[in-house]
Amino acid sequence: MSERHRADVLVCTCPACTKAGAQALLEALREELTRRELTEEISIVETGSRGFCYMGPIVVVQPEGILYTGVQAADVPELVEETLVKGRIVERLTYKEPSTHRAVPYYKDIPFYGKQMRVVLRNCGVINPQSIEEYIAVGGYQALGKVLTTMTPEQVIEEVKRSGLRGRGGAGFPTGRKWELTRKSPGEVKYVIANGDEGDPGAYMDRALLEGDPHSVIEGMIIGAYAIGAHEGFIYVRDEYPLAVKNVQRAIEQAREYGLLGKDILGSGFDFDIKVVRGAGAFVCGEETALIASLEGRAGNPRPRPPFPAQKGLWGKPTNINNVKSWANIPVIINRGADWFRQIGTETSKGTMIFSLVGKVQNTGLVEVPMGITLRELIYEIGGGGKNGKRVKAVQTGGPSGGCIPSALFDLQVDYETLKQAGSIMGSGGMIVMDEDTCMVDVARYFLDFLKDESCGKCTPCREGIRRMLEILNRIRDGQGEMEDLVELETLAQVVKDTSLCGLGQTAPNPVLTTLRYFRDEYEAHILRKKCPAGVCLPLVRAKCTNACPAGVDIPTYVALIARGRYAEALEVHRRRNPFALVCGRVCPAFCEAECRRGELDQPIAIRQVKRFMADHELKVPWTPPRADKRYPEKVAVIGSGPAGLTAALRLAQKGYPVTVFEALPVAGGMLAVGIPEYRLPRDILQVEIDNIKRAGVEIQLNKALGRDFTLDDLLTRQGYKAVILAIGAHKSRRLGIPGEDLPGVYPGTTFLRDIALGKAPDLKEKRVVVVGGGDVAIDAVRSSWRLGASEVHLVYRRTRTEMPARKDEVEAAEKEGVHFHFLLNPTRVLGTDRVTGIEMQRQELGEFDTSGRRRPVPIPGSEFVMEADVLIAAIGQEPDLFWLDGTGIEARRDGTLVTGPGYSTTRTGVFAAGDAVLGPSTVVQAIGQGNEVADAVDHYLRTGKVEEVAVRPGYEVVKQIFDMEQYYKAVRPATRELPVEARRGNFNEVELCFDERTAQEECKRCLRCDLEWLEDTGLEAVPVPDRVLVIETAGQKE
Amino acid sequence: MPRLKSLEELQQLRERVQSEIKARTSASTIITVGMGTCGISAGAREVMYAILAELERLKIDAQVTTTGCIGMCSKEPLVDIQQGNQPRVTYGNVTPAMVPRLIEEHLVRGNVVSEWVVGRATG
Repeated sequence: MSERHRADVLVCTCPACTKAGAQALLEALREELTRRELTEEISIVETGSRGFCYMGPIVVVQPEGILYTGVQAADVPELVEETLVKGRIVERLTYKEPSTHRAVPYYKDIPFYGKQMRVVLRNCGVINPQSIEEYIAVGGYQALGKVLTTMTPEQVIEEVKRSGLRGRGGAGFPTGRKWELTRKSPGEVKYVIANGDEGDPGAYMDRALLEGDPHSVIEGMIIGAYAIGAHEGFIYVRDEYPLAVKNVQRAIEQAREYGLLGKDILGSGFDFDIKVVRGAGAFVCGEETALIASLEGRAGNPRPRPPFPAQKGLWGKPTNINNVKSWANIPVIINRGADWFRQIGTETSKGTMIFSLVGKVQNTGLVEVPMGITLRELIYEIGGGGKNGKRVKAVQTGGPSGGCIPSALFDLQVDYETLKQAGSIMGSGGMIVMDEDTCMVDVARYFLDFLKDESCGKCTPCREGIRRMLEILNRIRDGQGEMEDLVELETLAQVVKDTSLCGLGQTAPNPVLTTLRYFRDEYEAHILRKKCPAGVCLPLVRAKCTNACPAGVDIPTYVALIARGRYAEALEVHRRRNPFALVCGRVCPAFCEAECRRGELDQPIAIRQVKRFMADHELKVPWTPPRADKRYPEKVAVIGSGPAGLTAALRLAQKGYPVTVFEALPVAGGMLAVGIPEYRLPRDILQVEIDNIKRAGVEIQLNKALGRDFTLDDLLTRQGYKAVILAIGAHKSRRLGIPGEDLPGVYPGTTFLRDIALGKAPDLKEKRVVVVGGGDVAIDAVRSSWRLGASEVHLVYRRTRTEMPARKDEVEAAEKEGVHFHFLLNPTRVLGTDRVTGIEMQRQELGEFDTSGRRRPVPIPGSEFVMEADVLIAAIGQEPDLFWLDGTGIEARRDGTLVTGPGYSTTRTGVFAAGDAVLGPSTVVQAIGQGNEVADAVDHYLRTGKVEEVAVRPGYEVVKQIFDMEQYYKAVRPATRELPVEARRGNFNEVELCFDERTAQEECKRCLRCDLEWLEDTGLEAVPVPDRVLVIETAGQKE
Repeated sequence: MPRLKSLEELQQLRERVQSEIKARTSASTIITVGMGTCGISAGAREVMYAILAELERLKIDAQVTTTGCIGMCSKEPLVDIQQGNQPRVTYGNVTPAMVPRLIEEHLVRGNVVSEWVVGRATG
């Protein structure tokens, strides 16, 4: 703005504005000002663009800063008259937000911010932290002004006490009471300190606050100093936070220049100043007595309390030390009042808490939430749930001093007390989310490893105890742990907790204790089965694919053999852990591919499809499974000929036992034969693998059902079987539980699929079929119905597509085949008199998150409508059929699965169980894995008489890498070839087509060969021989 | 800067800076780059340089300023664009390569680049 003129009219003459008529506008403006003789008072300035070029010509009137857009020459008289003469704004010319902007959601409508409440972080990311003026403009230092002019120190303390604010460093001591203690401590000289020594791995709340809004901390400290009677203060901040140090220092200088720090603040007579002290980054210095020692220039070691710093602190003077977040709360409490603050939060914990939400969660970042929010809301609604759709398993709060809370407890309301009850702490606000790929043993180990370095060494329990605990955890990670180690670990943890000098040692065992408490099964897996379920602990994880395979198939080896065209050997490797290569090559959900490291680069290896190629290639070569030379006399009965039963039977036959399989149906294969439709798994293919198993000497008796044709007593007493394996599967469909369910035309999903498999398919020609459910059985039912000629096929699911448990590619295939999907619907009544004519449906909406991490469907009352249907198929879940159970001594759970103990034993001696009967409906490969393991357990029982967990570490081989991996850096996963949709209607021909030989071989060469890297990393010796390499541990070696 | 000698002076200062900020923002475009440590480590400095260079190239007289962490660290670098007192529109995961299109679309053409936008602050 020019000094000589009352107003300046700035006209943009950028190319865009010129094009839009800026020159004509200037012309008109000059004429108008001349005509009205205003040229002396008002100047015209030509300017460059201000970034509104799309709305030109742009005119700005200064000093008011009025912005007009799209101003034309014709607008000039009105503009001059209204704005320049009368000082009014011409509304129609003001800047309007473009319509595309209005479509952008407000922050509060984004889930990340929806449940947040930004009190302490109110200015972070909004104002420029290097400008005290911006802080003052948003109301900064008003609280200080209010305190200094209208409140006594006692009133300030009273207000803070009444607010219920508790220390945000983690221990949660009431802030007002701490202030009062320091005020009442005798002595002229007192100090206040802001603790910004933030050291939890993954936590950075204090840093963000000091960087983003340093004045709020400073203002809080001045108010506190006034209340306590201190004239000197310190901000202790880590030297590795250079930006925080810089912004705080600049803020202090600015505050001094305005007289907000220094002598006679705001003319009140109160003096106070602050120094910044940079800490060298020792974790223990977050402990208040250690921090004070460090401030005094001594080594940062803690000392016993009492005396507390409030009595004897810095240089022996009463000292009030609070976390920077506590200080930043103070101006808000003063401005808005204790009553306002008290209404936020829970009974014992008031206000908000800042968490740094990190780890395996979608939206990582800093969040501020009211106390009392549930972990579920924090993790799922704000955090967006697990990363890449993985299941969240636990959350670690409070850093190394905190504990891991399992997902089953996610309904806990976050406050100081509940977290403590769960074995964790609030801490300073670190919150690390963990998913199924996080190993809890490794987590405990990680924190102890951190604390081992950070322990100051002054007291023995902390210094030695942490080391000893870490040694035990290292042993467990290496697969060298024993069950007694867990007892020792707990004893040590308790001693360290009870006898350490300061908070570091007292809380150090928390990660160990909570993981032992909530995730004992993972420790046991490492110790007993030498397995790291998450695939993290290197010595136990040769390759992530193999580790993820429930059957433990040696994937890197057979993939490497396929790459070299040695299919028979590859298949041999596969069959050692899984005799169903033809089946799994077609229907396996491929847990291996989900973990494949190549998938982190581009796409995982198409392991299932190369397996299929390998198995198909060898289809014509009959396999006689190798058997041990030894023959045992003990007869074993297997009930059920599904994948679990047949695998167990095969393994026991291979070990030398006589085995008989009893099958209730007229066909063998269980769900493979009567569950999975033929277009996914042709019967002749399945039969080849069943015949293989028979060749091992397994006898299969068809049409023999437990409870109908024989009893367990028959087998165990009269027929002399020494062991029985119940592998009866889960063939009974859950009922919908609604009126009309028993009308003709309603089929349970499993019955429907079984009837088709047994050649008794219902006539669906020109029928309208509705299938209820979202799992694999539901998809099999809709795709089968379509093939049987149904006029319309509808799938109804009560949640949304993202929550469907069915395989994604199956859902897509059903969609391609023309199945209509309806989400958020649930049947409430089946309509019809003598058969189904329609279904009453009720709309659902998604409510809160449930324990599975999915939003719960909630019925919308009054939303019912009728969907016409001739056939209704209910596929909402399956369970084992237990009509035979009474009086057998076998116990089942409420969900119908059988109760099992160590080594797959049931509640009756000599009777074991495996597969879906134990797991509930699961996958073929899980059943095969259990088949392998139950066979080992039964063998152990028959040989030793003991029923216990048996660990088998399968042997493996090393296939040399003979081609240049670099050449496959850019290779991509081949597309799946399929039968065209037109060719599928009316038949059950197999849909997916096999890779050709070249495709399969080339695909296998994309494998990164984690197994070779593992050998290198673990330092295990492999002696390569020119072709196939040696067996390092013999297959079947027992631990 | 004068020392403030009373609460009244503080309040006067507040009113003055408020009107100054309003005058500054109402007639111009303000581009704010998140420059907390999270932003800087995600590349905010390079993004800011790219913005300054692009504004220079197009001769656009917009103000570029910085702010701290707003919490959405996984979306850093965050860039806010505020025009004429309208709510600031926030873009996430901005890279220097995105800057020319961002300026072209938002400042020159007046369109929000919807695939990069995160949200906007409340009025």
